[in-house]
Amino acid sequence: MPGQISTPAMAESATPAGDAPVITPEAVLAQLEQILLEVVGDDLLMDGPLVMETSFSDDLQLESIEFVALAEELLNTYGEKVDFVSWMSGMELDQVVNLTAGEVVGFVVSSLEEES
Amino acid sequence: MPYIQSNGLKFHVQVLGGGTDDSGAKRPKVVMLHGLVIDNLSSWFYTLGHPMAQQVDAHLVDLRGHGRTEIAEDGYHVVDHVQDLLGLLEAWEIDEPVHFFGNSFGCVVGLALAREYPEKVASLFLIEAHFSTPGWGEKMAGTLALAAFGLDEVAVREYLATEADRKTSRLAKRTEKLFFGTSLIEDLKTETPIDWLDEIKCPVFAIYGSQSDILDRAHELEEKVPECTLEIVANASHSLLIENAALIKARAFAWLNTHAGTDYVVEDIPVSSREGALGTMGAPDALEVLNQMAAENRHLLDENAIPTRRVV
Repeated sequence: MPGQISTPAMAESATPAGDAPVITPEAVLAQLEQILLEVVGDDLLMDGPLVMETSFSDDLQLESIEFVALAEELLNTYGEKVDFVSWMSGMELDQVVNLTAGEVVGFVVSSLEEES
Repeated sequence: MPYIQSNGLKFHVQVLGGGTDDSGAKRPKVVMLHGLVIDNLSSWFYTLGHPMAQQVDAHLVDLRGHGRTEIAEDGYHVVDHVQDLLGLLEAWEIDEPVHFFGNSFGCVVGLALAREYPEKVASLFLIEAHFSTPGWGEKMAGTLALAAFGLDEVAVREYLATEADRKTSRLAKRTEKLFFGTSLIEDLKTETPIDWLDEIKCPVFAIYGSQSDILDRAHELEEKVPECTLEIVANASHSLLIENAALIKARAFAWLNTHAGTDYVVEDIPVSSREGALGTMGAPDALEVLNQMAAENRHLLDENAIPTRRVV
């Protein structure tokens, strides 16, 4: 497991006071790692820090029902700004099963940028 | 986590959709139930749930003992699942007829709901519908007992501890709890055969794979349910929802356009000719983990008591 786990607040905190928050892929990735730990708990399979290439199925061996919980937690975290329902509705089954951390991070970042 | 109390249990559910459309009108309500033991609501979540949620409110449920719903010690008869569902409908404050989607065992719950509470069901969309016929409970229970027996074998335990990946190990652990810690197998054994299909009043769409080992149910539905449309898909097995997700999506959209007033864009996927579908001899069934365990451990139980290997 990585030595340092980021907190959700980090995704929007590294900006000068008063400026609009800047959403960085790195911050969202750290946030995603935190959410994974909350959803899966100590049973999460990780040999090192979560990276963009990490696959939810092959690398983390997430069960399908755990991925449901992950998607839901992402929705709770980012709200309607990040429309996972629409995003996932355009995917074929294989795409959902083979999603990587980087793809989720990319979608979150682009959604938040559009919003801001 | 979205958990709802119903019939004395805490159920994990997922509701996809916004409640109202752009004009503020209520959207059609859809309820989706999965199959037995190795299945949970994720099979809908990954396939139809999100695409359908563009125009309806899709209510996905983990049945008792499955997914993230509590494992009850008993109450695994179809009538218990119906009571669970009634409690959930009440909790969701759904007072209009729902469009029910079932996969495998989930279908029998929908059929029973439609028969007992016809005012609650607008239509049934059934994929590889399992329902009890004479001897069905014994067969299902026998197959599950066989798989359970395999789970208790030393060699299987060693494999799970040393070779199996995380997903398989967790599946086996949860399945063991369901088999040995609940009345599931006993309840299936004593399930009453259905002899009331002709009492189903709502429109029904039933779809099966040509390689399905429960094709007899397809013909019984078509013959007995007054308003039943049947499709048999060539070269498909009991795992139709996962193997043919695009086809199922197209049929589901078309069904809801007709019966729920939606206007999904429907992909044009031709219907297999009945003769062509039934004449195909494709790949064998994709055996699920438990089916493999059952087959591998067949010699451990009295074969005469175990006439089939099908689990879900």
